Amino acid sequence: MAYLQQYGVYIAIVLLLMYNAAFTSNFISVDNFRTQFIQMVPVLIVALGMALVIGTQGIDLSGGAVMALAAAVIPLYIGYGLIPAAAMAIFAGCLIGVANGAMIAFIGVQPIVATLALMVAGRGIALVVANEQLKSVTNPTILSLGRNSIVGVPYSVLVAVILVAVVALLVNRTTFGKQLVAVGGSRRAAELAGLPVKRILMTTYILAAALAAVAGIVATARLGASVPSTLGNLIELSAITAVVIGGTPLTGGKVKVVGTVAGALLLQLIAATLIKNNVPDAYSQITQAVIILIAVYIQRGKLAVR
Amino acid sequence: MITPTGTPRDATVLEARGVTKRFAGITALDNVDFTLHPGESLALMGENGAGKSTLIKVLTGVYQPDAGELHLGGTTTTFARPLDAQRSGISTIYQEVNLIPLLSVAQNIFLGREPRDRWGLIDFKQLNENARTLLDTYDIHVNVRRPLHRLALGMQQMVALARAVSIDARVVIMDEPTSSLEAREVETLFRVIGLLRAQGIAIVYVSHRMDEIYRVCDSVTVLRDGKSVHSGLLADLPRVELVSIMLGRSVEKTKRESLTAFGSARTSSQAPTLIATDLTRKHQISGISLEIRPGEVVGLGGLLGSGRSETLKALAGVMKVDNGHVRVGGRLVKNGSVSAAIRAGIVMLPEDRKAEGIIPNLSIRDNIVLAALPRLSVGGFTSRARQDAIVDVFMKRLRIKATSSSQLVSELSGGNQQKVMIARWLAMNPRVLLLDEPTRGIDVGAKAEVQALINELADEGLAIVMVSSEVEEVVEGSARVIVLRDGSVETELIGDEVTEHHLLSALVGEPITVTKELP
Amino acid sequence: MTATPLRKALFSTVACAAVLTLALTGCTNTGESKAATSGGADQVVKSSDGPTCALADYKGDKFELADAVVGFSQSEKEDNPFRIAETQSIKDEAAKLGVKKLIVTNAQSTLSKQISDIQDMISQGAQALIVAPLNSDGLEPALSVAREKNIPVITIDRLLNAEGCSDYVTFLGSDFVEQGKRAADQLIAGTGGEGSIAILLGSSGNGVTTDRLKGFVDQMAAEAPDMEIVAQQTADFSRDKGQSVTEQLLQANPEITVIYAHNDEMGLGAQAAIIAAGKTPGKDIQIYSIDGTRNAVEQVAAGAYNGVVESNPRFGPLAFATLKSFLSGEAVSQSIVIEDGEYDPSNAAEKVDLAY
Repeated sequence: MAYLQQYGVYIAIVLLLMYNAAFTSNFISVDNFRTQFIQMVPVLIVALGMALVIGTQGIDLSGGAVMALAAAVIPLYIGYGLIPAAAMAIFAGCLIGVANGAMIAFIGVQPIVATLALMVAGRGIALVVANEQLKSVTNPTILSLGRNSIVGVPYSVLVAVILVAVVALLVNRTTFGKQLVAVGGSRRAAELAGLPVKRILMTTYILAAALAAVAGIVATARLGASVPSTLGNLIELSAITAVVIGGTPLTGGKVKVVGTVAGALLLQLIAATLIKNNVPDAYSQITQAVIILIAVYIQRGKLAVR
Repeated sequence: MITPTGTPRDATVLEARGVTKRFAGITALDNVDFTLHPGESLALMGENGAGKSTLIKVLTGVYQPDAGELHLGGTTTTFARPLDAQRSGISTIYQEVNLIPLLSVAQNIFLGREPRDRWGLIDFKQLNENARTLLDTYDIHVNVRRPLHRLALGMQQMVALARAVSIDARVVIMDEPTSSLEAREVETLFRVIGLLRAQGIAIVYVSHRMDEIYRVCDSVTVLRDGKSVHSGLLADLPRVELVSIMLGRSVEKTKRESLTAFGSARTSSQAPTLIATDLTRKHQISGISLEIRPGEVVGLGGLLGSGRSETLKALAGVMKVDNGHVRVGGRLVKNGSVSAAIRAGIVMLPEDRKAEGIIPNLSIRDNIVLAALPRLSVGGFTSRARQDAIVDVFMKRLRIKATSSSQLVSELSGGNQQKVMIARWLAMNPRVLLLDEPTRGIDVGAKAEVQALINELADEGLAIVMVSSEVEEVVEGSARVIVLRDGSVETELIGDEVTEHHLLSALVGEPITVTKELP
Repeated sequence: MTATPLRKALFSTVACAAVLTLALTGCTNTGESKAATSGGADQVVKSSDGPTCALADYKGDKFELADAVVGFSQSEKEDNPFRIAETQSIKDEAAKLGVKKLIVTNAQSTLSKQISDIQDMISQGAQALIVAPLNSDGLEPALSVAREKNIPVITIDRLLNAEGCSDYVTFLGSDFVEQGKRAADQLIAGTGGEGSIAILLGSSGNGVTTDRLKGFVDQMAAEAPDMEIVAQQTADFSRDKGQSVTEQLLQANPEITVIYAHNDEMGLGAQAAIIAAGKTPGKDIQIYSIDGTRNAVEQVAAGAYNGVVESNPRFGPLAFATLKSFLSGEAVSQSIVIEDGEYDPSNAAEKVDLAY
C-alpha cells in the first residue's frame, strides 16, 4: 500500500502508455506526445497554483474563471503586443487572487466558499469585460506562442516547464515556500511562531490566480480566439485531481510539484485514451470519476498510516 | 417521584467502580470510583488532565471503560453509545449549547418528541403549551415561540436544561455551565438546580470556580492523574484542603525539597528586561502589572481559570489587551502582535505543544529554523548551510535525540519536541522566555532535562516567566512567584516566602488554618 | 518598441485596467467591438402546414401591438452568438413596430428562473409572450398562468412537449434533423462522397445534439453509404474542446478527411487543430458545421472551411408578424418551421453579412 501511495501515479502512467502502445493506433509517435504535452499545459499550470493553495490547507475553485478573465482581457490590449497584453491579463487575474486572499486571510471566509464565489463572479466579470463576445486573436506573436516550437519543444510546453521549475524552486528553496507549508501544517502554530500568516495566504492565492491567468493566456494563444464563456470551465476540478493524485494531501502542509506534473499527465493520458478509442462520453465520465475515487482512497490510506 | 428526603442515602442513582481507561499507553482513568445519590449535587474537581472529561465521557457512553463497571440505580449496565446513556436518563449540558439555533424554544425542547395532531402533523399549539408549562415549573419565563438563537446564552442553557430534564433525566452533568453566563443568569441556573434536586435529580457539577462549588454542591470527588483521590462532603473540607488535594501537595510541606531538577532559584537586581503595566482584557485579566529582570525565573501561580495562561498570551502578543502595555528594555511593544513581540525579544512556548507549537509535518530542521528563517535566507532563498549551522548547534546543546535533523518532528518524544520548540526560540536570541506548562506530558527523565535547561538559560541572562500547574515545579524553579486569582494579581511571593504553604494559601485567597496531613 | 511609447502604453493599459475593473465595462482599445446586430437575413417560412390556431379558438381579446406590453423570456445565458442575435432581433423588431413596452428576461439556463420570469412578466401586465423555452418540458406552471388569463404565448427555437393552440399558440423554429441532413448533403457534395468522417458532437443529452446527429447519419446512410464515420466524440459545443478532441482524433485516425461539427464553435476549434497538425483546413481536411456565425462564414469565404448550415436566430420579424396576424383574428399555423440558409464557398463571400 505504501508503495502504491508513493509510486501509484507513475505506475498508472506506465500502464496507460503500455495499453496505448498496444491498442491505440499511431500512439507511439513524437507528434502524438507533443500533442499530449501541449494539451495538458493549461491543467498543469492551474494545478501548480492549486498545489500551493492546497499546501496551505486551502482550495481554489476560481482557476477556470481566472483563465476566462485573462482570455477576455487579451484582445483589449493585444494591439500593444503580446507582453503588455499578457501583463494586463495576469494583472486582471491577480485581482481575483487578491479578492480570494483578502476574504480568506483577513475576513476568515472558508476557502471553498470564497473561491466558489469568485468562480461564479469571475466568469461573469470576464463576460462583461469581453462584452459577451468571442473574439478571434490574430496577433502573430501570440499565435506563435500557441503553435510554434523551439528545437521541437512547443513554446507553450516551454512556458509550463519554466513554471514547474519556478514553483519547485519556490516550494523547496525559498523562505516563502517553507513558510507556506508551515501554515498548511498548523496555521495556529505558524502564527505563534511569528510568521506573517495572512500575508502568506494572500500571496499564495495571488500566485494561484497569476498562474491560472498564464494558463488562460496559453490556452487563448493555442485556440487563436478569446472564448471567455467556455474557456477553463471546470478546469479547477481537473487541477485538484491532478494535485491529489500527485500525492499532495488535501489536509495541507505538503506540496508535491513533480507529483502534480505526473497527476496532470495521467489525467491527460486518460482523456486521450478514451477519445482515441472512441469511448462514448457517458462512459468516459464514469471512468474519470472512478480514477478520482481511487486516487482519493489511496490518499485516505496515507492519512490513516500517519 | 423520589424526593431527597424520602431516599435513603445508600440508594445510588449512578455509580462507577474501578473504572480504568487507557489511551495509547496513557492511563487516563485508573481504577476510579464514583458514587452519585438521587438529589445529590456533586462537584467533580481536578486540574487539567486529571481525567474529569474522560470520566464524564465514560459516564455518558462516549467511551467504553477498559476495566471496571457502571451501576445505574443499583444494576450493572453498559452504555454502548451516547444514546444508551441518554435513554437511561443521563443528560449532559455543555458550555456550548448544542441545540438547533433556528428552531423555536418549544421545538428544541421537544425535538423528536413533538405532540402530533390526528393528521400526524406537529401540533404546534400543544407543543407550545407543553413547553410553557414545563418552563413555568422552573420559573423560567421566555416566549417559547422565539427562535433559540435570539435568546441570551444563559437562557439557551436553561432551555437545554429543560430539554434534558423533560426526557426523564435522573442525572444531569454540567460541564463549566457558568463560564459564559452573566451574574444574573448564574442565579437563575442555581435556582433551577435547586428545583431539579428537589425532584430527586442528581447533578454532577464540573467547575473551577470555588465559590460556586461551595454554593451549589454538597459533596465532591477529586481526580488527580486519573485517580480518584478524595470523595466526601464539601462541608467537611476547607477550600485550602480541597486545593491541596487537587494539586497533590500537602499543606504541611513548607520546606523546600528538591523534587525537581531546578537548582537554587535565583533572583536578580538588574534593571528589568520586561515591564508590563495594567494589562486588562474583559472577562480574562484585569490590571496585571509585573516586572521581570534578566537572569530571573518568575513563576506565575494560580489555579486554572485564574488568568495565568492569558497573562502569558498578553505578554507574547497572542492576545490583544483592552488596556495596559508591555515594554522591553524601555521600548513599547505593539499590542496584540506576535511578530512585534518576537522582534522585541519576547517568545513563548505555548501550553498545547502539539496544536500550537510544533508543525508536525515538517522536519526537526524546518521546525527549529521556522521563526528565524528570514534571517537565515539570502534574498528570499533558503541556505541549507546557514540552517545547518544553527540546527546542529542547538541539537547538540539541547541534546535533542533524533536520527537526523531531517527526521519528522512528530516522530519525536514530547520532551524532544519541547526542546525543538526551545531551540526555535533560542535561534531568535530572545530576551524574555515565556513558558506555559513547559514539562506537561513529558516523561520524568526528559522533564529534569528541560528544567535544568531553563535554569541554564536564566544563568545566561534570559528573563523567564513560567506557568505550571505543578506546585513543586513553581516553588522550586522560581525565585519569585506572582500569584493570580480571578484574573488579577493576588499577591507576590519573594525569596523565603516562596514555599508551597504560602503558595497554596495564596491560590485560594485565604490563610491556611488546617494542618491536617493528607493521604 | 522604444522605451517611451512602451511606458506610455503600459501606463494607459494600467489606467484602462483600473477603469475596467471598476466599471466592469470594456475599455476597448484595439479589439473591435462588434455590437450584436440583427441586420442579417430575415427568417423565411419553410412550412406552416398542419393545424392552425385562431384567436377565437384560443380565446382572448384583439388588441394592437402598438398599445401592448409584450414579454420575451430568453432561456440561456447570452454568452454565445445565437442567443445574442436572437434577443437582439426581438428587441429590434419590437422597436421597429413601436410596441408600447417590451419586457425582456433571461432565465440564465435555470428552469425555475424561467418559470418565475414568465409569471413576473404576466404580473407586470404582459399581454402577449414570446418564449424561448429552456427545455421541452417543465414550463407548465408558467404556461397555465398565461392560459388562465388568455395571454397568447408564441414559442420559438425549441419545441415544447405541450399542445398547440391550448398551452401555447404556435411554435416557430428550425428543424434540427433537417439541419443535420443538409449538412450531410453539403458534405457529400463537397467531398464527392469520398473520405472518412469524424463527428464532433454537442453536449451529451441535449436534444439538438440528438437531432443533428440523426439527420446527418440517416442521410449519409442513404446517400453515401461508402463514407465511413470513424469517430464521434463530444466536444460540448465549445471551441477549446473542439480543438483538443480533434487533435486526439487526427492523431489516432490519420485517415480522417472530413469533420462534421454540431456547431460552428467546435468546427472552428477543429480548424485550429488541423492547422496545428500542419495540414490545410478546407483542403487536406474539410470542415462542415451548423449555426451560421460570422466567424465560421468568414472562414468559408476565405476557403479554410467548407460549409455551414444556418440555424437562423432572428426570430423577431417572424414572431411579431405571426403575433400580429393572430391578434387580428387570422388563423396561424401551430407549427411554423423556418427556412434556414446555408453557406458554401460559392456564396459565403457575398452572404457573409447575413451571418451573425
